[in-house]
Amino acid sequence: MSPELQIALQNAINGLLLGGTYALVAVGFSLVWGILNVVNLAHGSLVMLGAYVTYWLYTRYRLDPFATLPLTGLALFGLGYPLQRLVINQVIRASFLITFLLTFGLDLLVTNLALAAWTADVRAVTTPYSGRSLALGPLALPLVRAIALLVALGAAAVLQVLLTRTRLGSAIRATASDLEAARLMGIPVARVYALTFAIAAATAGVAGGLISLSFPIFPAMGAGYTLIAFVVCVLGGLGSVPGAFLGGLLLGLLQTYAAAWLGPNYDNIVAFSVLVLVLVVRPAGLLGRVERFRG
Amino acid sequence: MRRVWRLAAPVAIGIAAGLTPAPAAAGDVLRIGAPLAATGAEAREGALAKQGYDLWAETVNARGGLKVGAKSYRVEIIYYDDQSKPQISAELTDRLISQDHVSFLLGPYGSPTTFADAAVAEKYRIPMVEANGAARKIFAQGYRYVFGVLSPADEYAASMLKAAATLVPRPQTVAILAADDLFSLEVANGARDWAEKNGLRVVYFQKYPVGVADLSAPLTSIKSLRPDILLGSGHLQESLLIMKQAQTLDVSVGFYGFTVGPTTPDFVTALGPAAEGVFASSQWTPDVKYRGPVFDTAAAYAKAFERKYGFVPDYHAAESSAAGLVLQLAVEKAQSVEPAPVREALASLDAMTFYGPVRFNAQGLNDRKPMVTVQIQQGRVVTVWPREVAAAKAIYPTPPWSARK
Repeated sequence: MSPELQIALQNAINGLLLGGTYALVAVGFSLVWGILNVVNLAHGSLVMLGAYVTYWLYTRYRLDPFATLPLTGLALFGLGYPLQRLVINQVIRASFLITFLLTFGLDLLVTNLALAAWTADVRAVTTPYSGRSLALGPLALPLVRAIALLVALGAAAVLQVLLTRTRLGSAIRATASDLEAARLMGIPVARVYALTFAIAAATAGVAGGLISLSFPIFPAMGAGYTLIAFVVCVLGGLGSVPGAFLGGLLLGLLQTYAAAWLGPNYDNIVAFSVLVLVLVVRPAGLLGRVERFRG
Repeated sequence: MRRVWRLAAPVAIGIAAGLTPAPAAAGDVLRIGAPLAATGAEAREGALAKQGYDLWAETVNARGGLKVGAKSYRVEIIYYDDQSKPQISAELTDRLISQDHVSFLLGPYGSPTTFADAAVAEKYRIPMVEANGAARKIFAQGYRYVFGVLSPADEYAASMLKAAATLVPRPQTVAILAADDLFSLEVANGARDWAEKNGLRVVYFQKYPVGVADLSAPLTSIKSLRPDILLGSGHLQESLLIMKQAQTLDVSVGFYGFTVGPTTPDFVTALGPAAEGVFASSQWTPDVKYRGPVFDTAAAYAKAFERKYGFVPDYHAAESSAAGLVLQLAVEKAQSVEPAPVREALASLDAMTFYGPVRFNAQGLNDRKPMVTVQIQQGRVVTVWPREVAAAKAIYPTPPWSARK
C-alpha cells in the first residue's frame, strides 16, 4: 500500500470515529430544535456534565466508563426533565431571541458552576485499555473510539425505534408536526416536551461519557460541541436521527481531510464553507424535509 | 462586577515575628501592584504565580522588610483579578498606578497580558518586574521600565532540542506541532531555527488552532514520516490530546517533548503510564544548583514553599518569587523607593539567585539564565539536562507503544 493511500485510509477511519462522536452530540440537539423549536445553546454544557459524571464514577468508584453510560444517561435524563418543565417551558412560545438568551444564560451558569465545583483542571478518563488499538494491516483502529462509535450507533438506533415505533414516539412526532391537532387529540403536550428534552439530555450525557474516554475534559469544553451540533443539524436536517448521524459523519470526515490536506487551521473553514453551500443549495439539510421551515 | 482581592499585611507576620529579630516598623509600607488572573483561562497558573509573590512578600516582611538607608519598608502587594484578559489587565495596571499609587509593579500571568500591561507601566515610568510573559515581542518595543526575569520564549523548545542533541543515537529528524498563538508560534519558530542550524531535519511543521478538539489527521501524517522527535508547542489540554491520540494511532517516536503540560501535576494524573518518558522544558526545578540571597538555594526555596502550601513548587511559583526578589535587590542597591533610581539599579543588576543568574540586556530580557529539560520518569518530573544540574540520565529512545504494557 502506498504511503499516500495509507494516510488517506487512516484519515477515513479518523474522520468516521470523530463523526460518530459528533453525531451523538447532535442527535439530542436536533431533537430539541426540531420538536420544541428551541435552539438549546446549553446543549454542550450537558455534554460536559455527562463527561464529568463518567469521570467521577470512574475515579471515585472505579466503575468502568462503558458500563456506567446508562447511569450517565439516566442522571442527565433526571436533570433534563425538570430543567425543561421549570425553565425552558417558560419561554416555549417566545421568540427565538428569548430562547437563545435563556439557553445561553443556562450554559454560562452550568459552565461556571462546574468551574467552581471542579476547578479548571484538565482531566481525562484513562482506563487500562484506553491506549489500545487494533492493527488493520498498516492502519490503526483506536479501540475505545471504535467502541464509542458502535455505542453511538446503538444509542441512535434505540432513539430512532423510540421515535417511530412507540406511543411516546408517535406523540412526540405528532406534537412536532401539528401542535394544535396533537393537543386536541389529548396528547399532554407539556409532558411530551419535557420528555423530549430529557431524552435529548440523556443522549448528550452519553455522548459526554464517550468523549471523556478519548479526549481531555474541562468545564469549558461544552461550547465547541454546541457549535458542532448546530453545524451537524444544518447539514443533516432537523429533528431526524438518521439526518443527524449522516451530518455528523460527514462533518467528521470533512474536518479530518481538511486538517490532513490543508492543515488543522482549515478544518472549520472547510466545514463552514460546506455549511453555507448546503444552506444555499438544500436549505432543509441533506435528509431534512422542507415543511419544517414553514413559519 | 470586578472581583477584587486585596491582600493586606500577610497574617504570618505575627507568627514570624517571634523568629526574626526585627519586624518592620509599622509606619513604612512599600506598595506593589500586581494584576493577576484569578478567573478565566489562566486562573490555574495565576494562582501559582500569586503563591510565589506571596511567599516572597512574607519572607521579606518576616526578615524586617526592605532596608533603605535607616528605614525599613514592609511590602504590601495589591492584587486585582484581570480575568486573564489583556484589556482588563491593562486597565487594572492603570488603576494600580494612578489610584492606588503603587511604587512598583509585578507582572501578570501570560505573554498577552504582560504585553498589554508593559505599555502602561512604560507610559507612567513605573518599573515592572515580570516573571510570566516570555514572548520576545514584549521586549522588542524599546521599553525601558519592563524587566523579565525568565528565559525568553525561543529557549522553551531550543532547550529540549539541545538536550536531544546530546542523546545517543543522536536524533536526526523532528516534527513540530504548534498552537496558533503569539507565544507558542514564537517557541515553535525558535525550535525550527535551532534545528536547522544544528543539523536536525524538520520533516513536519504545522499550526493548529488553540483548543483544537482533534489532532488525528496531523498525527497520521507524522506517523508516516517516522520522525525521531515530536515537539509540541501549545497548552496543557493539547499536549494531553497529542499523547492520547499518538498512543491510539500507534505513532511511536523516540522523543516526545512539550513546552507546556508535563510539568503540571494534571499531566501525569490524566495520562497515567502513557506519560512515561515525555520530555518538557522548564524555567526552573528544585534540582537546579543555584544559590543566592533571601531564599538561599533552589532546594531551600522549594522546602520553604512546600512548608507553606503543602506541595512542591513548579517554575511558575519560583519565577514569580524571583521577580519579587529581583525588585528587592534593585531597591536595596539603589537605596531608594523612587521609580527612576530603581529602574537604573535594575538595568545594571548582576545577581545570582536561587532561580538562576539575573542580568538584563538592553531590552530588559534576562538572557543569562539557561532553561532546563525535564523528563517524566516513574511518574515523577526529573531534571535531565544540562548535565551539571541533572538529577537523572535521560531515558532515550522512548519504547514504541507496542512494547509498553
